[in-house]
Amino acid sequence: MSGTAPATYSPSPTMQNKKRAPIFTDVDWVRPDGRGFRQCRGAFLRTGAANAASGSAYAEFGNTKVIVSVFGPRESKKAMMYSDIGRLNCNVSYTTFSTPIRGQGSDNKEFSSMLHKALEGAIILDSFPKTTVDVFALVLESGGSDLPVVVSCASLALADAGIMMYDVVASVSVSCLGKNLVIDPITEEESYQDGSMMITCMPSRNEVTQLTVTGEWSTPKIHEAMELCLDACSKLGDIMRSCLKEAASASQE
Amino acid sequence: MMGSANSGDLSSEMEVDAFRRLFPLRFHERHLLESIRPDARMLGKARDTTLALGAVASADGSALAKIGCTTMLAAIKMEVMTPTAESPDMGCIAIDFHMPPICSPTVRPGRPAEAAPVVSKQLSDTILSSGMINLKDLSLVRGKASWMAYLDIYCLDADGALFDAALLSAVAAFSNLQIPIVALNDDGRVVVVSEENEGGKLKKEPVNKEKRKLKLSSIPFSLTCILHKNYILADPTAEEESIMETLVTVVLNLSGQLVSLYKPGGQFLAYTSAIQDCMALTRQRVKELKKILDEAICDMEMD
Repeated sequence: MSGTAPATYSPSPTMQNKKRAPIFTDVDWVRPDGRGFRQCRGAFLRTGAANAASGSAYAEFGNTKVIVSVFGPRESKKAMMYSDIGRLNCNVSYTTFSTPIRGQGSDNKEFSSMLHKALEGAIILDSFPKTTVDVFALVLESGGSDLPVVVSCASLALADAGIMMYDVVASVSVSCLGKNLVIDPITEEESYQDGSMMITCMPSRNEVTQLTVTGEWSTPKIHEAMELCLDACSKLGDIMRSCLKEAASASQE
Repeated sequence: MMGSANSGDLSSEMEVDAFRRLFPLRFHERHLLESIRPDARMLGKARDTTLALGAVASADGSALAKIGCTTMLAAIKMEVMTPTAESPDMGCIAIDFHMPPICSPTVRPGRPAEAAPVVSKQLSDTILSSGMINLKDLSLVRGKASWMAYLDIYCLDADGALFDAALLSAVAAFSNLQIPIVALNDDGRVVVVSEENEGGKLKKEPVNKEKRKLKLSSIPFSLTCILHKNYILADPTAEEESIMETLVTVVLNLSGQLVSLYKPGGQFLAYTSAIQDCMALTRQRVKELKKILDEAICDMEMD
């Protein structure tokens, strides 16, 4: 062994789970957390999680815990070209303890750009010309469906910062496991999925800002999954809106 | 003296907020004259402090500490390593302090905050030299396997006194630490003995059955103070730190012994009496913090 940092490993068993895979394809199988196939995890949302930011929000869906801070609108970086409309800058990072094995969370480098694309259509960029709004997300704990939670939480933080948007952005994902569609999957379900679909949409305008489909899908399944996602998004949108209302009425008092 | 006379004139004409932004130093000095601070605290008083243990389910020990608005999340993950030949019966602690861009408007992604490595180093020096943890407690099989405790502290909101909050969260995370029960398997690797197996047939004899909690002795606590002229301001906010730059951090353990003392330069030189005043404030603060930690542990056990 080299003289520098000693190699370490996590003692938790990671291999034995492989055996359990076939059970997911059964029709009458129970989800690990006991939810129904079409039942989302309970959502806990709060705005004003960090004081240093212009706006911030904390979201907790089961074991997935995310905090998002929004800064700005503020001066763009010097190197930026002149722009008539505002810019949006997004960054998603993971804590080292967010995943069961330490330091695996940083694999999701594409999340920053996906968050950017999911939000940019909903923000009225004309309302802050020449400046930049920074949206920074930190995943404190990764429990599955991380990106949808980040997107919803980020939209809440933007609203908290007073950034003009056409509507809140709600996001939900669905996993396809054999014959079954399960909504709002946890990490374990995501690791065995045959396909996944994520929709981010503006529920009151009925507009989709981002739709990602991966894996193996049949056309009827895609339709079914989309219906499922859109329905869940509109419910999530209601929860987000009531969270904002609560915060606004609390600050008035 | 001319300055203060002018400021008096200006402050009567100008709105308080504008005055605060334009003449921050005068604004604060005006408060200091009345022995009060902009957030209505006395000079020697620390902000409200709260502590919640076990905030992160995916970690073996964790804590969320808040001092005023400054928020720290600390979590410990235990991994197994082969101990070095020089110390075959000792474990290791790796401490890292992170300032992600969410914590402050001055931190941008890809450009780490200047303060982060400084606090990181201070924390490891303090925790490792305080003797709080006996590294021999982290040994599993002499010469073969021992624990590596990865302690990661994330600053979620930076509003001054970062080191104090980070140290508090670190200490609390260690007191929340539950070491997993492990056994050696046939390949000589250490694996977790899951709770479910325990009732029925136990395949392997666990190697650390009665060592699930670390014994913490002489826990260190700290207080950061600002020295400005002959004033001492305990537990500064980010605004106060940016205006009055002479900081003194005193770390004491529970028996009141000095663990470390930092005075990283600054405009004002400290007289011995000022340092002693800081020590006295820290001694008081240690008692407060001990009480807060005990209450948090108590709350955790109730649940």
